[in-house]
Amino acid sequence: MERQAPRRPLRAGSRGRDSSTRKHKPDYILVLLSVLLLVVGLIVVYAISPGLSAQKGVGENYFVTKQLTAIGLGLVAFTAAAFFPYNKWRSFQRPLLILAILATLIALITPVSPEYPAHRWIRFGGLSLQSVEIVKMALLIGMAAFLEERIRLRQMHSTVYTLRPLVVMLGVVGVIIAILQRDFGSTAVIVAMTAAMAFVAGLPLMRVAQVGAVILVALMILILPFSYRRDRISTFMNPERDCQDSGYQACQALIAVGSGGLFGIGLQNSGQAFGYLPEAANDSIFAIVSEKFGFVGASFLVCLFGLFFARIKNIMERAPDNFSRLIVVGILAWMSTQAFINIGAMIGLLPLKGITLPFISYGGTSVVFVLAAVGMVFNISRYTTYTVNEGTDELSTLSSERKVHENRADWRRNRRPYHSDSGRRA
Amino acid sequence: MSSSGTFLSPIQRIRIWYALLLVVCAVFIIRLFYLQVIRHDYYQKTALSSQLKEYQIPPERGVIEAHNGDSTVPIVLNEKLYTLYADPVYVKDTKVAAEKLMGAIGGEVGKYQTALETKNTRYVILAKKLSKLQSEQVAKLDLKGIGTREVPYRTYPQGSLAAQVLGFVNDEGEGKYGIEQALDSKLKGTPGQIRAITDAAGVPLAANEDNINVEPKSGERVVLTLDIGMQKQLEDLLKAGLKRVNSESGGALILEAKTGAIKAMANYPTFNPAEFYKVEDGNRFTNGTVSSPLEVGSIMKPLTAAAALDLGVVHKDQTYYDPSQYKIDDAIVSNIEEDGGAGTRSVRDILQLSLNTGATWLLMQMGGGEINQQARERWHTYMVGHFLLGKQTGVEQGYEASGLIPDPNDGFGLNISYANTSFGQGMTATPLQMGAALASVVNGGTYYKPHLIEKTISSDGKENKDYQKIVREHVVNKEVSKTIKEMMEYTIEKNSMLYGFKRSYPSYSIGGKTGTAEVAKPEGGYRSDVFNGMFMGFVGGNEPQYVIVVRVDTPKISGYAGSEAAAPLFVDLTGMLINNFGVNPRS
Repeated sequence: MERQAPRRPLRAGSRGRDSSTRKHKPDYILVLLSVLLLVVGLIVVYAISPGLSAQKGVGENYFVTKQLTAIGLGLVAFTAAAFFPYNKWRSFQRPLLILAILATLIALITPVSPEYPAHRWIRFGGLSLQSVEIVKMALLIGMAAFLEERIRLRQMHSTVYTLRPLVVMLGVVGVIIAILQRDFGSTAVIVAMTAAMAFVAGLPLMRVAQVGAVILVALMILILPFSYRRDRISTFMNPERDCQDSGYQACQALIAVGSGGLFGIGLQNSGQAFGYLPEAANDSIFAIVSEKFGFVGASFLVCLFGLFFARIKNIMERAPDNFSRLIVVGILAWMSTQAFINIGAMIGLLPLKGITLPFISYGGTSVVFVLAAVGMVFNISRYTTYTVNEGTDELSTLSSERKVHENRADWRRNRRPYHSDSGRRA
Repeated sequence: MSSSGTFLSPIQRIRIWYALLLVVCAVFIIRLFYLQVIRHDYYQKTALSSQLKEYQIPPERGVIEAHNGDSTVPIVLNEKLYTLYADPVYVKDTKVAAEKLMGAIGGEVGKYQTALETKNTRYVILAKKLSKLQSEQVAKLDLKGIGTREVPYRTYPQGSLAAQVLGFVNDEGEGKYGIEQALDSKLKGTPGQIRAITDAAGVPLAANEDNINVEPKSGERVVLTLDIGMQKQLEDLLKAGLKRVNSESGGALILEAKTGAIKAMANYPTFNPAEFYKVEDGNRFTNGTVSSPLEVGSIMKPLTAAAALDLGVVHKDQTYYDPSQYKIDDAIVSNIEEDGGAGTRSVRDILQLSLNTGATWLLMQMGGGEINQQARERWHTYMVGHFLLGKQTGVEQGYEASGLIPDPNDGFGLNISYANTSFGQGMTATPLQMGAALASVVNGGTYYKPHLIEKTISSDGKENKDYQKIVREHVVNKEVSKTIKEMMEYTIEKNSMLYGFKRSYPSYSIGGKTGTAEVAKPEGGYRSDVFNGMFMGFVGGNEPQYVIVVRVDTPKISGYAGSEAAAPLFVDLTGMLINNFGVNPRS
């Protein structure tokens, strides 16, 4: 490692579009994978919709109709995110932050009801929105902009300019979301987003370790005083000890997953969805997928997520600049953490969190924001470089070989769009 | 500016992180394999144990009908009522809940509250037999942990009429006593079956190949031979007749001589089948006429005479010298009623004067002049083989008794014990057995199975009339049948005043025989203070139409139980049949 290599001055490319980031064909495979995931979710929601509707006392296709509406709204969000120039997103920082604060405040003052047991929702008319989704979006853009600036100003090592603001931000988020909204799952997603973005942005490993320790302490502080969280942890350690009470959902989820067997009991044959497993269409949907489609279907779904992550990772590696890269990093952290927390809980590897499975879970807010996020990645995928782009940030010690832009003249001349396909790198 | 934290390039950092993501995915897939493949059986069993529910849909129990003149009317019907129950665990404020319940359906607040505060139970019954309206009112209260459950009940349009013949259906839906027990399997029907994967609330989920759905099949409709009017009058007369002679219990039976159909049968005291659970003394459920064998006493004598005549060892006009007592096996056979001392007697005198010595003489004739093995065996053959005593008649009643006829060759004091059986002591039989045997003797010699069922009709409309059956023909020959009938008529005629006939019915054939039976002490021997009064007879025109058996348990009167307590009841019943139920007169 040539650690002593001098740092180059930052180029304008990190801020705007330089010659290396010409527009080309976007990553359609990413969209294809997203559509596949949405379809899997829709099929499962469709299959259990009549039974769930009957229990809720609404029309047979209530759940499917609502989900399709959400997907429709999500497509609007996707289109907006996909076609609004990404280098202008920065300008949304402040409005989004204000919106997030407002939404959170409204959610906090909205009285709870049996259907909405925590201060997490904003409701108008028949619609409801989880305020934390706006917070995630605001933090995504805000942090990308913030970290990009820290990189540009070479302040990634700075405790005062980088670490402290991040820790303060996490502290505020922790208090509001984990304590006031009692939404530990979303807090975990935000922490993961922050950690991933800071890590990729080049936060010194020592700092990473320190922050990790701080987070661990914070976890203890957040978990121990709340009996319901302690319950969840102890339930998680031994779900079958208390199947009737606090371990009920965990137990029923395991039963659903386990009874699926190798090939599943079939799309029409779910037993656990109806009254046994709470939140069958939302937080527990992975267990229903596992029950219906068995090991083959469940692991296929995990692989689908893996592929989806792989596409995002490729775009991340080839991102045209630090800002866009950090955005993609944040989105991957968001999606993966949410998926892992959700699936991990269903298969008894993590304690239960009230958190949706991206693409699959029934639930309007989740679908709209997930599709908006995919739109953002899709947008950036049009500007990826041909090879792994390590050069646009000047933070790290430069590696010896810089292949960036080597072939750029060729592909620019040919005007052939670059497909961000990892296979080409061989 | 060197730092330990900066030696990783962003791409390296991305790859480390991505590798972590892939590891998580791999761990998940391994975990899925463990849960879904390795532990599949366990979870499948667990899932099925909660999801797969099997229900039996109770079939509707068969209705029971009885004759009312020419038509049949229901005597037992079904009704759906509601049981109010609670799970005390869920009832927070018992006082408020109890008050609300009182407001909705009446009852006592205190009682509800006490029940709701029962500890260590998840199920208490607060009230039974609520109407549908009451059940709906409870539902409107929307009280947590309190609900109603539909329960089918038997209802009895005729009240307690024929209760012991009918029996009842207990809370588990099982027929107990009487017809309900004897025909339980037919009345019950076949339960429908649902086996289904259900949701948590137990509602079957559609579309599952393991689901089973079999409709229940209602129980069979049962039409009794009983006549409601006759039954009612018999019950009233029985009650009054027993009261008249200070007897606490008794029974009566009217049987068609030429079919074996039981037209009326009752015991006193009885019970109300709609409130069977309030009965404290279980004996009240018992149809004593069928289930309580007793030493029948002198009503045995017509059968003894019939056997001797049928064997040809005596003829109907034969006379003999009656010594007024016999010494057999060191025991003395003497007469209970006044016999007028030693003298020459005829066979019909034996019945008319109720001579124990006469019955003993008849038995002696079966042995060629003495009680011996041949006499015992012959008499045993008649009792068991012809009159079918000592075994169940097969009448459609729960707990039918078979009675006891001593073995002719096994035991001590066989001769005196057999002498006793010739006049109805030292053996037991039910009034029904005696009535059926008499019917066979006086109807020309055909033993019809005594039965209560005229027909049963299955839910698909198929009728089964296979209840009237000839069990045995040539019980006695026709000549003997006629002789016994005449002798019993003669007995009534001679004792008309004594038996309480204020006026005779000249155009009808009425015959009978009293019985004043000794009551065995549990420790052996007989009580000297009380007797059971029995009467067995028939009424008809040219031929006996009805056989009547009356039993009066230990009446507290001064005279003979048979003639003073049982005979008047026979007279009442005979009059009732002639006056109200169109007995065919002699033509």
